[in-house]
Amino acid sequence: MVEAILDPTGGRRAVAQGAAVLTPNRLKLAGATIGLLENTKKNAAPFLAELGRLLVERHGAAGVVARTKTAFAMPIPEEQLAELARTCDAVITGVGDCGSCSASAVADGIAFERHGIPAAVICSDAFIVTADAMAGMRDATGYHYVVTPHPVAVLGPDEVRKRAEEALDDVVAILTSVAS
Amino acid sequence: MTAPDPVVAQEAIEHCYEQGWTDGLPVVPASRPLVDQFLARTARAPDEVIGRVEQLDRECTVEQAAISAAMAGCRPEYFPVVLAAWDALMLDRAARGGGWQSTSGPSPMLVVNGPVRQELGFNSTGGVFGPGFRPNATVPRAIGLMVRNAFGIHPHVLEQATQGLPGRWQICFGENEEESPWEPLSVSAGLADGGSAVTAMLLRTVEYVDNRHTQDHEQVLWDLADTMSRTGALIFREASYGLVLGPEHAQLLAKNGMSKQDVQAWMIEHVGRAGRDLRRAGKSAGEKQVRGASGSTDGDDEFQRFLPSPRHVPVVVAGSRNAAMSMVVRVFGEWSGKAVAVEGTA
Repeated sequence: MVEAILDPTGGRRAVAQGAAVLTPNRLKLAGATIGLLENTKKNAAPFLAELGRLLVERHGAAGVVARTKTAFAMPIPEEQLAELARTCDAVITGVGDCGSCSASAVADGIAFERHGIPAAVICSDAFIVTADAMAGMRDATGYHYVVTPHPVAVLGPDEVRKRAEEALDDVVAILTSVAS
Repeated sequence: MTAPDPVVAQEAIEHCYEQGWTDGLPVVPASRPLVDQFLARTARAPDEVIGRVEQLDRECTVEQAAISAAMAGCRPEYFPVVLAAWDALMLDRAARGGGWQSTSGPSPMLVVNGPVRQELGFNSTGGVFGPGFRPNATVPRAIGLMVRNAFGIHPHVLEQATQGLPGRWQICFGENEEESPWEPLSVSAGLADGGSAVTAMLLRTVEYVDNRHTQDHEQVLWDLADTMSRTGALIFREASYGLVLGPEHAQLLAKNGMSKQDVQAWMIEHVGRAGRDLRRAGKSAGEKQVRGASGSTDGDDEFQRFLPSPRHVPVVVAGSRNAAMSMVVRVFGEWSGKAVAVEGTA
């Protein structure tokens, strides 16, 4: 009798091939409250703060709600997601600048979109493969996020502000446009 | 009985490569009868979930562990050690979280205590960090295959190690209890003496200390502390650096009246650097516990200690008593401080 070779993966080896799922409720920036969810990685908080400032100054956003995700490798806790979904019209999260936090930031962005909240994820270009793999695992292949050049952690304050400004157009496009 | 057919074996091995199941080396293709022999060595149900990575929505069952252990080349009787090693790892916060995806590319170090070492043939003496012994080689490999196949964490995809460390999925040894002057690591971790147990911690790397030309135990302590105090391994305000002492070093220290706890206390006191050394290396400033560069010379003259508690300085004795060498092990995150008893052993 010929024995089968057993599969060690539990049948889960294939990454799902679903399409990106964006909430159809894209954002009108004027008067919007923007959640800034920083993940404790070096320079994440000033990067997001500068984006928030620019959205208020140039696009008429009403203000920001700044929060910290303390466990950067893990999915956003449900209570924190619910609180941001309740108090904000859109969320910016990041910076995905390590092996686990880049994947996790993408998972959070997808979770926000599925809760009807437009979300822009900031990820360093060194982690595109792992970010895309996470999108596949969340059945959102092709999920679009904002890419900033690696590294982010070594930048000085002026350089961080410049990076945020460079990312601004992509953030606006993702938050406001279904086509993104 | 006819001789095994190598062509069939080769085809089965290639099949496993094609499925993406291997760590680069050939695996033993797992069959139902073989895996059932593994499962017969535990009272735990095959569908019991023994690990979960929440962020990836993946888990590992006893059955998947058995398949991985078989594929890694374990014998069925090793399986309780594999399960104990896995449970010990799951006590580690990083192993339950994002550690396997980390740019640090950490590896488990598995330390086996008790009679199971002799029963299964774990090496605890010469060449403990090297190859040549089936249980030492295959038990940690099984853990690596569980992370790869059950958790789905593959290099270059969800696993983002910048370089990783030599010996990843290969660091597993018995403690040399017979030549250690002190209690076994499992006893330091709170288990009863004489039992078989596994302790697990994640490592960034290991570095040897060769000091065989002195009878002065304080010179050995200073030599160990100097290696532990390098700036390169330092990323957070606090660190965890263990010692795998060769029997000669351990016996020299014990002969001079030092317990394991004394050695830990000595290292807590002496492992660290002057503020100016840290500033020069860009590691003086702490923001949220992460070290970074600072231009400030404040604190240049202060001695900064790195090791906050004895749990951050695990001490284990392994190797051969043929030269006075030891290994500093750089712990990723921090050790849980716990050991797990091997099922079915006293």
